[in-house]
Amino acid sequence: MLLAETLLVASALAVCLLYLTAAARLRRRGDSWPWLRDAAFAAGTAAVVAAVALPMPGGEFTGHMAGHLLLGMYAPLLLVLARPVTLALRALPPGRARRTLLAAVRSRPAAALVWPPVAALLDVGGLWLLYRTPLFERTHESMPLHMLVHLHVLAAGLLFTLAICQVEPLRHRSSLPLRAGTLVAAGAAHAVLARSLYAAPPPGTDFGPADLHRGAELMYYGGDAAEIALALVLALGWYAAEGRALRRERRRTRSTGADFVL
Amino acid sequence: MASTASAAAPSRAPARTRSIWAGVLVGVGFAAFVDETVFHQLLHWHHFYDKSTPAAGLVSDGLFHAFGWFAVVIGLVMVADLARRGGPARWALAGGVLLGAGGFQLYDGTVQHKLLRLHQIRYHVEIAPYDWTWNVIAVLLLIAGVLALRKG
Repeated sequence: MLLAETLLVASALAVCLLYLTAAARLRRRGDSWPWLRDAAFAAGTAAVVAAVALPMPGGEFTGHMAGHLLLGMYAPLLLVLARPVTLALRALPPGRARRTLLAAVRSRPAAALVWPPVAALLDVGGLWLLYRTPLFERTHESMPLHMLVHLHVLAAGLLFTLAICQVEPLRHRSSLPLRAGTLVAAGAAHAVLARSLYAAPPPGTDFGPADLHRGAELMYYGGDAAEIALALVLALGWYAAEGRALRRERRRTRSTGADFVL
Repeated sequence: MASTASAAAPSRAPARTRSIWAGVLVGVGFAAFVDETVFHQLLHWHHFYDKSTPAAGLVSDGLFHAFGWFAVVIGLVMVADLARRGGPARWALAGGVLLGAGGFQLYDGTVQHKLLRLHQIRYHVEIAPYDWTWNVIAVLLLIAGVLALRKG
């Protein structure tokens, strides 16, 4: 394994260890923090490590695509659902570190980045750049560029997932229709890119047709799985909010002497 | 509170409009799902990519493909929400499902397969009977949907 990859794997494992320690500290002092979140973060870290360090099955392009699905979609979903920022804000003692983190999360640039259309453009737009320009070919010649693309795919995936799910304490919450529309548009852009790869490889590359077709189909259907998961997070969030509104409504009706008994 | 609320009477009239929309979403999603699993994956009649597909066809297909998955998830969760509010209006829901499925099927069979030449229903066969069957089924679904909506 190369130095850069070793560094990336080591930092992913270190962050995961920090997360688990913070969650344990919270529980020791009597706060509740669902175990499912620890499991999600650990699984997300495993997905990052696998994408960066393990050889993927299939041909060269198919293997590359499998790694990208893990790094850009499944790992971010698991990591975001584990709510690492919320955990850090609760685990850090009052002081400078906590204030800085809160200020960063609530800052204007952060708000602009997690506005769903911006996050989607950075994520799927980045993929279009990678596969439809000579960038992909260049990543094979330059190791720093290769690692930079890896990092961008992970970071943009995290940003997009956070923008759609909105589970952390953000400055602004985008409306449900905006998040839903962005998810569908990003899903469509991803599907069109996958189909275009089926027809023509990234400029400057010469993958075999079977490898290219399998990789494109993997991208297409793998993207569907991620979209369904994100749609579920959105829909269940809406269901929970409607449930709270319904309970409030029923309490109010009861206390004002409704004409039927609840 | 929670135990009594689940058995409660609906807090407002059964939302007919919401039932129809939930049905339409489920119907579109279901039709897209059947298209994907049966015709692409099981029968292999449809092709993943047809060399003659123009860009507009790809974009239209990408949008409907992405919307289909989203629609079925949101639609089903909307039905669950209607259920805890005293149940969806059944005929309205059924009508919505039929309209959604028929509408998608007709759009797929006319605009996507014919106008945008996305891909054909089946290859190396006389295509006309397939096109007619496809679109007549779509129209029948739409008629059934309208009838269901008039019933309740």
